Amino acid sequence: MTGKNMTYLIRGKVAFVIKVIFVTLIASILLLLAQSAFAQREYVISGFLAISVLLLALTYLSKISIPLKFFIPGILLLTAFVIGPILYTVTMSGFNYKTGNIISKEEAIVQIKVRAIEAAPSGLSFDVKLGRYDGEPAILASDINTSEYFISTLDARIPLVASSVTLNEFGVAVEAPNFAPLNDSEFATADKEFTGTRFAFDDQYFIALEGFEAGVVSQQVLEFIPEKDQFKNLLTGAIYTDNGRGNYALAEDKGVILEPGWRAPIWFENYVNIVSDPRVREPLIRVFIWTVAFAFLTVLTTFALGLLLALALNKPIRGRRIYRSILVLPYAMPSVMSILIWGGMFNTEFGAINTLLGTDIAWFSDPNFARVAVILVNLWLGFPYFYLISSGSLQAIPSELMEAAAIDGANPRQIFRKITLPLLLQILSPLLIASFAFNFNNFNLIFLLTGGGPRNELDGEIAGATDILISYTYKIAFGSGTQDLGLASAISLIIFILVASISLYSLRKSKVLETFA
Amino acid sequence: MNTKRFGFAGVLAAFALAVSTLVAPSASANTQIVVWADESRGPNLTKVIAAKGDWVPGFTVKVVTFSSFDALKDAFDKATDASGPDIVVGGNDWVPTGAKSGKLAPLTLTAAVKARFNQTQFVDLTYKGKLYGVPVDINNVAMIYNTKLVSTAPKTFGEMVSNYKSLKASKGLKAGLCIAGGGMSWGAHSVFSALGADAYQFNSRGGIVYGRAFNATTFGKNVRTYLMDGKKSNGFFPATDTGCKDNFLAGTVPYAVIGNWEWADYVAKGFTMNLMPVPGVVDGTYGKMFGSVSGALLTTFAAKHGVESAAKSLLTNFFASTDGQVRYQAFEKRPPAEKGAQADATVSAAQRGFGSAASLAGIPQIGAFLNSNKGGANYWDSAPAYWTAVLIDGKDAVKEASKLASIWRTNTDGGRGDL
Repeated sequence: MTGKNMTYLIRGKVAFVIKVIFVTLIASILLLLAQSAFAQREYVISGFLAISVLLLALTYLSKISIPLKFFIPGILLLTAFVIGPILYTVTMSGFNYKTGNIISKEEAIVQIKVRAIEAAPSGLSFDVKLGRYDGEPAILASDINTSEYFISTLDARIPLVASSVTLNEFGVAVEAPNFAPLNDSEFATADKEFTGTRFAFDDQYFIALEGFEAGVVSQQVLEFIPEKDQFKNLLTGAIYTDNGRGNYALAEDKGVILEPGWRAPIWFENYVNIVSDPRVREPLIRVFIWTVAFAFLTVLTTFALGLLLALALNKPIRGRRIYRSILVLPYAMPSVMSILIWGGMFNTEFGAINTLLGTDIAWFSDPNFARVAVILVNLWLGFPYFYLISSGSLQAIPSELMEAAAIDGANPRQIFRKITLPLLLQILSPLLIASFAFNFNNFNLIFLLTGGGPRNELDGEIAGATDILISYTYKIAFGSGTQDLGLASAISLIIFILVASISLYSLRKSKVLETFA
Repeated sequence: MNTKRFGFAGVLAAFALAVSTLVAPSASANTQIVVWADESRGPNLTKVIAAKGDWVPGFTVKVVTFSSFDALKDAFDKATDASGPDIVVGGNDWVPTGAKSGKLAPLTLTAAVKARFNQTQFVDLTYKGKLYGVPVDINNVAMIYNTKLVSTAPKTFGEMVSNYKSLKASKGLKAGLCIAGGGMSWGAHSVFSALGADAYQFNSRGGIVYGRAFNATTFGKNVRTYLMDGKKSNGFFPATDTGCKDNFLAGTVPYAVIGNWEWADYVAKGFTMNLMPVPGVVDGTYGKMFGSVSGALLTTFAAKHGVESAAKSLLTNFFASTDGQVRYQAFEKRPPAEKGAQADATVSAAQRGFGSAASLAGIPQIGAFLNSNKGGANYWDSAPAYWTAVLIDGKDAVKEASKLASIWRTNTDGGRGDL
């Protein structure tokens, strides 16, 4: 059925019903996710999902905007998976967000309060039975070493005579007068009721549960004073205050902190550290130089080889189709597999390359050889792409131009240099810029092939010889020692600005955007 | 009905249906304890817990298995309140970062429970004086020798090197001693120590000595004597562990350091479990190996899930009990950490062999020192870097040893506050 240049598969009420069902299904899933996010206190995600549902319903169930029906899924996905992470990264770059400063302040206070309970120096503990005494939560405690038995409630400790209690085969009291032990089915609700409860022991100590069967004589060492936002050591009187960097620190010695800390805003400090801290600045400069060199050399070599092959196969030779198919194979194989296979081939002792060449090159131990290996592998991975696009672009160049130049006396080299190459570059410059931007952040290759190494740890090197900015940032964020997500976020933002600037400048220089103006 | 009314009705219907999918969260108490483990421990824990389900009365235990130890660590690092486990069976080196970041919760064991373990095992799971889990099994390495190449146990490091040199050509040996298990940092500590370089120093009472490192000159000279031929490696000890296990099983390496989690592979190939520590340069001395424990660690998520006491009960009733460890290790086949389980008749000869090697030359793996970067690099990065620098790059063994000693000393001193 057609009408006004449009072809309809289904029309009318059937189409409307299908649309409503589809929108409702999507809305149901999104609302379910929103509810789950809300339950986990992820209010921003929950709110975004709820707003998405409203927008989808409004867009598809009304005539507010026809173009929006096509754009809204893309806009929502772009917001969720591109804009959202960028905003989050920018926000986190202004935080002290690293190992030891991960959770929120409220959670950190809860954790510190838990750690503020310490076992008494005597190490005294009891076998306990949970239950109720006169309707109140209580424990029936046994010291099997001294045959001491008592009931402890929140307020009182009631000694028991040994003869008045019933013991099990281990000598632990299981029954006592006026004490109603919990049965198995009551333990589930008992966990919340009894855990954290302080059962009376004496003036200084209380009994804290360590499981359902053991109670440990404990004392509270730290007390939180919410009005002053401080912790006080009840034994020494020491005061810990918020140091503004995500920790409670001792007033007299800011180096002494309570753990865990929390992620706290430090504004531009991460950016200042990038410039002022030599441990961050120096490796970063070296890594940046290598990143630019690596991306540039990759584009140069892959384009050169791809173009060379495209020129060679631009003539009607026998078997051209077979050659073309073979040349595209590296592009068809998953890059992860190729990189890992190349990694094995570069192995110093058992690798195929050293065996074939009869050499003993430590490819991944020597910085220069490691860099050469990285460029070579990327050449293998990248040349088919440039071969394909160069082939296509060569077809797009009118042959009359070359013929006219030949008639005017130009030789093949001159024709290539003055006509073919400039036209090719005009067509391919956006792709070359995109390839540069891609390889600027080519994390997979570096991570899988060399891991960013080699790195001379004994000389205190932080970044490896083949680390590019993104792999170096990854190590800062997820390294084996301290994970500094705040600093990594700041470096990520700088990478983004760099790549965007280089790309925009290159696009402007190549005047490609003018074509679209 | 016109389209406008249809549209309005459609919107209402859509929202009514969508809202009806909202399910109010259940208000009933949580009776499930969630345990996370890797691809080896997870299935074995599931078998044990399924066989006897009442480890904590009134509660069920759900074991979630991850595809690898790294995947488990990655998931735990990213775990949130809703998704996180109540107990995670992980490495002892997780304790400092987990405790620092508020993901692990401290617990206090009674004296009776603590007495079931070697007290040094708790060092692995302690951070700033607080314990964060119970020891489950012992991880250690020991050296095994191929009796078809060398018939007797070597008494000194030099004897191994001599045997290698004499057999190299006739037997086509690819190396003399290699690290099949534990890697060039953890597993290779026994070789470092045999030649005179310990990660940290102990006094005669077993306490840590601060401000001191191993003698770099002695160690460097031993490396030159036993591992080098001029400025190049003599081939006895490869700088990487690549291919070690395969080469040993193929009979082209006479000595190998293997991990206690993989002994079954060697028994299956017909090797005798003649396990011993790596001999030192002097007869009667041995290279010390890390005797670390894997731990069942209590997480802060347990309290949020309302199962904190239940999780603690599971730790003491199952993970720290003789019965629990014997049942578990019957499947897992690693040396159990609990003393009663170690003495159990079902413990295999291989497990006993590793235990015996550990008792001769085991030292605790102290994460606070090994993970510290105060010296510029932590132990895990600096140790293999030494082998690369000397055995591959041909740098001076003594000079590089001085750098290594300085790094390890600074790391030990710097990590003191985290004990």
